[in-house]
Amino acid sequence: MPFPLGRPLGSASDAEFQRTVVRAALDLLSTQIEPGIVDFATDAPDVGEQEPWACPLNLAPATGDSFADRLGAEASRFLPWAAETRRRRGRSLFGASGAALDQQREVVQALGSVADSGNLTDAPGVGIDWAFEMPLLIRHLVDDVRTIYHEALASQPGSRAPTHDDLNDWIFDSTVLGEVIIAIADYLTAAADEQPILTFIRGFVVPEGRYRDQSSF
Amino acid sequence: MRADNMARVAPGPWITPKPLAESTVAIVSTAGMHRRGDPPFVAGDLSYRIIPGTSDFSDLVMTHVSANFDRTAVQDDPNVAFPLDRLRELHDAGEIGGVSNWHYSFMGAMPNPSLFEEAGTEVGRLLAADGVDVALLVPI
Repeated sequence: MPFPLGRPLGSASDAEFQRTVVRAALDLLSTQIEPGIVDFATDAPDVGEQEPWACPLNLAPATGDSFADRLGAEASRFLPWAAETRRRRGRSLFGASGAALDQQREVVQALGSVADSGNLTDAPGVGIDWAFEMPLLIRHLVDDVRTIYHEALASQPGSRAPTHDDLNDWIFDSTVLGEVIIAIADYLTAAADEQPILTFIRGFVVPEGRYRDQSSF
Repeated sequence: MRADNMARVAPGPWITPKPLAESTVAIVSTAGMHRRGDPPFVAGDLSYRIIPGTSDFSDLVMTHVSANFDRTAVQDDPNVAFPLDRLRELHDAGEIGGVSNWHYSFMGAMPNPSLFEEAGTEVGRLLAADGVDVALLVPI
């Protein structure tokens, strides 16, 4: 299938295209006589040249002395829009960390506190029964905060939805969240000499190509 | 390059299934999705989670560890990686015989896929016992 990673059926919210992909796979059972690989020749309908994407919110520099304060201020701009998306979709993928849907501010606070303290051992105490222990919890705190941002952008006015690369460019070039992720990655890097597993955690937190001038893993 | 270094898994024997219109279909996904209250996937996880055929997407989360694939599509429409609604529609249209009572979710990101053999064999037995004729494997 000629589709980007993360969308094996090609296009979100395009039921007809998805059915076409499923049919193409299932039909192989009646057209093949032995195991094999057959290419799907059609690109997803939303692939192609697109105009540049920009976040519609003007993110003025978030004030505060700590990452937790600055990230909290930034995330508060997105929470109402994320709530709008949840209402529209009737669901959310927020909660990978173990947090409930009404604990978004606590998750933001927890991620910011890790960036402030560099504590890679003790789970942030914000009243959440985390689904993971540290340091793997960090990966899912990042995922949950990114989900808030992604789901917020899905409801904001704009000419088109951002791509995966658009989002990574924006997060790592323009947001406090990007600063927080890189700061935590630096802590993981510094501690990896004694705990090599932390290099893998860094690779789960920072997409490849986004960690300074080196591999994320 | 990492894919080139992965262990090769030989194809299994070819089994001609029943006509699709008479076949029950199950999804086997590697997207790391599971019900909100289920144990999350952890790095190197070789286990699987069961997802009932009656599931509503509002009850599912994704704890796949990789940071290197686009999650916005699944956030927008989980069918893009777990096409449960599409199977229901194909069943309603008479194109497939049925949708399985149970579907299965693994987490990919495993350099040596042969490590999944034990769990995969177990899922195969469960699918057969449930009367499933076709497993739709959906990697992410």
